[in-house]
Amino acid sequence: MSSLVKKWIPTLIATITGLVVLFGYLFPNRLLTLYRGHVTELRDVLVEWAVIVAAFAFLLGMVNILRVHVRRLFQRGSGRVYSLVLLFAMVVALVLTLIPPLLPANAVTQNLPDLDQAMFDYLISPLGASLAALVVFTLVLAALRLLRARRRLGAVIFLVIVVVILLGSTPLAGLEWLAGVREWIINVPGMAGMRGLLLGVVLGTVITALRVLMGSERPYSES
Amino acid sequence: MDIGAILWLGLSVLVLAALLILRGRKGPHPEVRPLAAFQNLGAEAGYAAESGGTIHIALGNGGLYGEDAVTSLAGLQVVNSLADAAVSYGAPPIITVGDPTLLSLAQDVLRRAYERNGVGELYDSGRVRFVAPSPVAYAAGAAHIVTAENVTTNVMAGAFGSEASLIADAASRRDVPQSAAVVDLKAVGALYPATSRLAVGEELYAAGAQMTGERRYLVGLVAQDILRVILALTIVGAAVLGFVNGW
Repeated sequence: MSSLVKKWIPTLIATITGLVVLFGYLFPNRLLTLYRGHVTELRDVLVEWAVIVAAFAFLLGMVNILRVHVRRLFQRGSGRVYSLVLLFAMVVALVLTLIPPLLPANAVTQNLPDLDQAMFDYLISPLGASLAALVVFTLVLAALRLLRARRRLGAVIFLVIVVVILLGSTPLAGLEWLAGVREWIINVPGMAGMRGLLLGVVLGTVITALRVLMGSERPYSES
Repeated sequence: MDIGAILWLGLSVLVLAALLILRGRKGPHPEVRPLAAFQNLGAEAGYAAESGGTIHIALGNGGLYGEDAVTSLAGLQVVNSLADAAVSYGAPPIITVGDPTLLSLAQDVLRRAYERNGVGELYDSGRVRFVAPSPVAYAAGAAHIVTAENVTTNVMAGAFGSEASLIADAASRRDVPQSAAVVDLKAVGALYPATSRLAVGEELYAAGAQMTGERRYLVGLVAQDILRVILALTIVGAAVLGFVNGW
């Protein structure tokens, strides 16, 4: 009984659901159902349910963040100041998002700025952009470490290509010829490597997806 | 039905047939080429236990829907394979996810590892953490965990972009050994200088076979190889035909 509930029923649900959605994409308008008074593709109904479950997953994610950081705060663990800031930001964001729609509609509330959007525009976006800018420095540092740690032919080729691509992108006088080299590297060996990589990834994806559909891979239950 | 669907169906039937044939066949254990990214991770779980530290497994920003779903499932194979060893050594890993749909599944995988080791009551769901939904914020949060939580090995497996270098940089600064398995070209470029234990592209999907050696994973790899040969022959054949027709 335990094996039936823990192993076979989830496998059956996953396999049937996966096959129905796959069939729906391969053969459109064959699997139709009546949903909210409309004739709809069964696969669209299942995908809509998945979106609803994903929305609830965000709530679980929020609870997880709360739990981890409240615990760190009370256990006086390292980085508790960051946890405090995070929890404060979370409460502020929640209040700014939830309160305005609850306010009575009048001249004052209608002229309130969209705080939710402002938070994204003036806090989250700039912070995200500045973090993304840091990636450049971490990449350069990694390249320097590579030169120290792995003095092999592969590492040298990697660094030479990085330098050529970077210099070929600059408008410096006298380096115009590097732009052509840069284009050739990107369009010939770069593109060939990328296509080979993508073909391999597609094959790996197909095999893994089929193993899930066949119930050979069961990340959701005991093997 | 359009040509794309016919191709998909043909490919699926082919793979399914290959898998079914190989799955039921009794024969020699298929040999796989060892990949540095997945070697010795079990031993590093032991080292983490000895030094009072832990392993950090970053699963990236992929979730269970969208184009990164299968990549995320492949990343979970790493968790599934490594969690048993880590839990048995008493050094459970910290797992970070950047998509909440992956959170529950990763928690379940870790919980099952505790139960298999007979210590289900010790399971702590806080070992699996949802960090942030945006890639850069996720990488910054995961990098902080590598720095602040006495991490002795950093493993990255799943859907990452160039922001993975933030996590790799945090690990490099502390001289923490790291392994990575990624499919995105930007992530490959960002992680190549950071670690020599890098699995690229399709190698990520070999994680289960590499780490467990189980036949069900190995036959998948053999089927993948068969398909690759068919695909390569098709491409070469099409090129030759094109050349002959254009001559």
